[in-house]
Amino acid sequence: MKLDTMRRNGLGEVVDAVVIGTGAGGAPLLARLAAAGLRVVALEAGRNREPEEYLTDEALSADLYWRGERLAGGETPQAFGANNSGIGIGGSTLHWGAFVPRVDARDLRLRQDSGQGRDWPIKLDELQPLYVELEAFLGVSGPAHYPWHPARHYPLPALPRNAPAQAMAMGAARLGVVTCDAPAAVVSQDFAQADGPTRLACVHCGYCHQGCRNRAKVSMDTTFLPLAVARGAEIRPGCFAHGLERDSQGRITAVLYRQDGREYRQLCAAVFLCAGAVETPRLLLHLGLGNRSGQVGRNYMAHVATQVWGTFAEEMRGNKGWPSSLMSEAMIRPEDADFAGGYLLQSLGVVPQTWADGVARGRGLWGQALVDYIDRYNFTAGIGINGECLPYEHNRLTLSDEIDETGLPKPHIAFSYGENERRLQAHATRLMTGIWQQAGATDIWALPRSAHTIGTCRMGTDPDDAVVNPFGRSFDIDNLWICDNSVFPSSLAANPALTIMALSLRTAAAFLDR
Amino acid sequence: MHEPKPSQSTAALSLFCLHCLGGSAREWQGVERELGAGIRLVGIDLPGFGSAAGLPGYSVAAMAEHVAAQVRAAAPGRWMLAGHSMGAKVATVLARQAVAGGVGLEGLCGLVLLAGSPPGPEPMSEERRADMTGWLDGAAAHRATKARAFVAANAVTLTPEARAAAEADVLRANPAAWRAWLQSGSREDWAERVGVLPLPALILAGAEDGDLGPEAQRRLMAPHVLTAEHHDLPHARHLLPIEAAGTVARLITHFAAPPRGGPRPPTVPAHYRALLESSRTSKALRDALLARAAPQADARRAWLPADAYAVLDAVLDRVIPQDPHARIDLAARIERSLAEDAGDGWRFADLPPDAEAMRQALHSLDALSRQLHQKGFAHLTDAGRDALLHRVADGQAAPASPGLLDAGQMALWFQDLRAMAVKHYVGHPATLARMGYSGVASGGDGPRKSGFTRFGIGEREAWEPVALAGETP
Repeated sequence: MKLDTMRRNGLGEVVDAVVIGTGAGGAPLLARLAAAGLRVVALEAGRNREPEEYLTDEALSADLYWRGERLAGGETPQAFGANNSGIGIGGSTLHWGAFVPRVDARDLRLRQDSGQGRDWPIKLDELQPLYVELEAFLGVSGPAHYPWHPARHYPLPALPRNAPAQAMAMGAARLGVVTCDAPAAVVSQDFAQADGPTRLACVHCGYCHQGCRNRAKVSMDTTFLPLAVARGAEIRPGCFAHGLERDSQGRITAVLYRQDGREYRQLCAAVFLCAGAVETPRLLLHLGLGNRSGQVGRNYMAHVATQVWGTFAEEMRGNKGWPSSLMSEAMIRPEDADFAGGYLLQSLGVVPQTWADGVARGRGLWGQALVDYIDRYNFTAGIGINGECLPYEHNRLTLSDEIDETGLPKPHIAFSYGENERRLQAHATRLMTGIWQQAGATDIWALPRSAHTIGTCRMGTDPDDAVVNPFGRSFDIDNLWICDNSVFPSSLAANPALTIMALSLRTAAAFLDR
Repeated sequence: MHEPKPSQSTAALSLFCLHCLGGSAREWQGVERELGAGIRLVGIDLPGFGSAAGLPGYSVAAMAEHVAAQVRAAAPGRWMLAGHSMGAKVATVLARQAVAGGVGLEGLCGLVLLAGSPPGPEPMSEERRADMTGWLDGAAAHRATKARAFVAANAVTLTPEARAAAEADVLRANPAAWRAWLQSGSREDWAERVGVLPLPALILAGAEDGDLGPEAQRRLMAPHVLTAEHHDLPHARHLLPIEAAGTVARLITHFAAPPRGGPRPPTVPAHYRALLESSRTSKALRDALLARAAPQADARRAWLPADAYAVLDAVLDRVIPQDPHARIDLAARIERSLAEDAGDGWRFADLPPDAEAMRQALHSLDALSRQLHQKGFAHLTDAGRDALLHRVADGQAAPASPGLLDAGQMALWFQDLRAMAVKHYVGHPATLARMGYSGVASGGDGPRKSGFTRFGIGEREAWEPVALAGETP
């Protein structure tokens, strides 16, 4: 994005806030604070890019992902790297899938309803206006009629369905499962973006996860960040924040960071830590800060994200079109559930290296069977879920004894499904298999996997039991705020980014009102 | 400094060269003349020396950043760093930044270290340090005497022209930079921060050099690189790029060259190549995919020991059976990823780091084969290999002896190996052609990308390729 004319601040000037991370958590609040006339500086560990630079190939896009090594432990170790955290101006929104369901009210009160998991200290009523505002600003495309909330309207028409979406709609209908066009943070028409270049309509190239080359897909560097810069924010790429200086009262006075091998120190009056549910707790644990509750790093969650694949008689070519153009909320609370919470369903088209990774790891194929199956790529299609994951004592991020290139200990993430996740996964696998059978697929198989990084700095009302208050403010350090998926008290079935952005606007408002 | 030659776009590799104390980019001219085709030499004047005598920034970090800026500006694709003496220390520090994912430093694939000052403090007597520190201060006559003495003491034989050029370079140096290196830069301790670089290195020493001779290179420099190819140059002392330019150029050319012989990779069918060359594919993607299909992409680094390579080859032949006459060298590509890539962001906590896991797993697999069948894995029949790999995949491969990877670790490693194998196999344009994959033609370079207009069930655009294996499964 264009940064050459942005306002710049001196290291010795006490800026109103330093924002660490420029993804879905950091970018909206950066824009909001700048618009309020505050002097704000964002530090981003990765580099600045232009959409033209993206390459429609997974291996060539590896630098969109956070590549500092994470140690995946537990009984169901989660893949990191290309599976979740991003790096670069825009953070993970550079590679996200741009599926933007809103949270279901029942997911915010899971414990109240089921006795399991944890409730949010926020009501859906507080998030709804933010969702509406975000969908309008970002240009979300969605169905004219949303079956589960008939009053909902999306600003742009839905993206067209690709072959996996058409097949899933057919199979689901035969089972009586309601589906609809999926809401997408991808513009289906040319869209004049405030303070940035026009975002051109999606051309259905299918490479959302490798960076959108024509700005159709929302990423922070094509939406909130140009707005932030136009309102006076400064964004510094290539800056890895590794320290916080404090005064005798314990308030933060400066952020220490490294850029191109040199050390810098930015004076500031407040800090927003928006580095994601791995880097945020990693920094706090490393510094021994903000953890009077002992909750930093705890309750790590990752969505149950099982996929089911089938082979069809006709070509599907799932690489074409927006990858998840059909969805269903029908299983948010399945009637026959033997588990707490629920899941969203999505159709899936997956580009070939990513798909083959799932085949080789998850299906366990090798030898001639693997070669033969890869040859059938054009005839395969998938369905996936995003399902509730409960917070557990045994799922936790800690610091390992290995130091990485940044000088910080590598994070160790212990992650094991509990009985609830296993039951949810079994339920979803049965349903998705049934949908594919109804759609005429053969050679159906399930790929167990988990997605997103959630929890580790949860919000709450009790300082002994939560890291931040319901607005993201640290209970321990009153000028430290956290905004990213680490503050989620529970995983929710909805994919997290839209809700992270809503929390970001909410945190900004609370900061301005403090 | 040498400006990059204009018509260098065909160069497969850029070699950024860093000079010694009192040297300049000029010291590489003899090497450049005799370097093999396909290697572009870029000499850099470090701050305080040569044409950069007026620039500040004499610490090792500042010198590394000075070089980094020039590498970023050149955006070299695949590149190597060569460092002579003082320049070698700067090279190792910059290499650490590059392998740690330093912005704009992608593609570093090897190091050439000549009579290198190691990442830790340089071995040097305090007497000598004190004596040399003031050599460039004072009257012109004093300076000239010391420059002559310095060059004479550091080379066995030099032509009169080379001697004059080397002396002139010493006199061009900023005395402050000279003092800074002796008093401070050479003492900086980067040993822990540089660590072990996951790169192959060519380590050259002058057989008649003093503190930085063959023994010091093996003791202080070699531990910082994953694989070292050592050569001790006879009849040479310390100014290796000048006094042994021809030998240095030949060794670098050999070190950087892709290997000959071996299996040939599959060719990309003409129809698929035409698609890649159409306006539907962006230029950057086209270049990258064609480079991926080029024989050089199968170059073996010989970072793994030969016996481990044989086991890896034998495993990969069973994981992805290929036409023996058109075979992607998956082992070479996996080896290069392990040695050069900035990492993929995670590993199973139960396994050691990726490169170490690979070594240990291949050793453990071979040991298991010898225990069960009295011969190495590479000598088993296809059926024998498959049976053993099934056991590994199922988590049933109990270690042949204590200290080897256990059954659970072997299963995780085999999962990682399958993933690495398919990544390189599926990413190859010949495989994409075989799959009838159309996504390579997804955009082009215009302001509005081409994308797709027909993407429902059974729909195909007229230009889309079909799977070579048949229309239907």
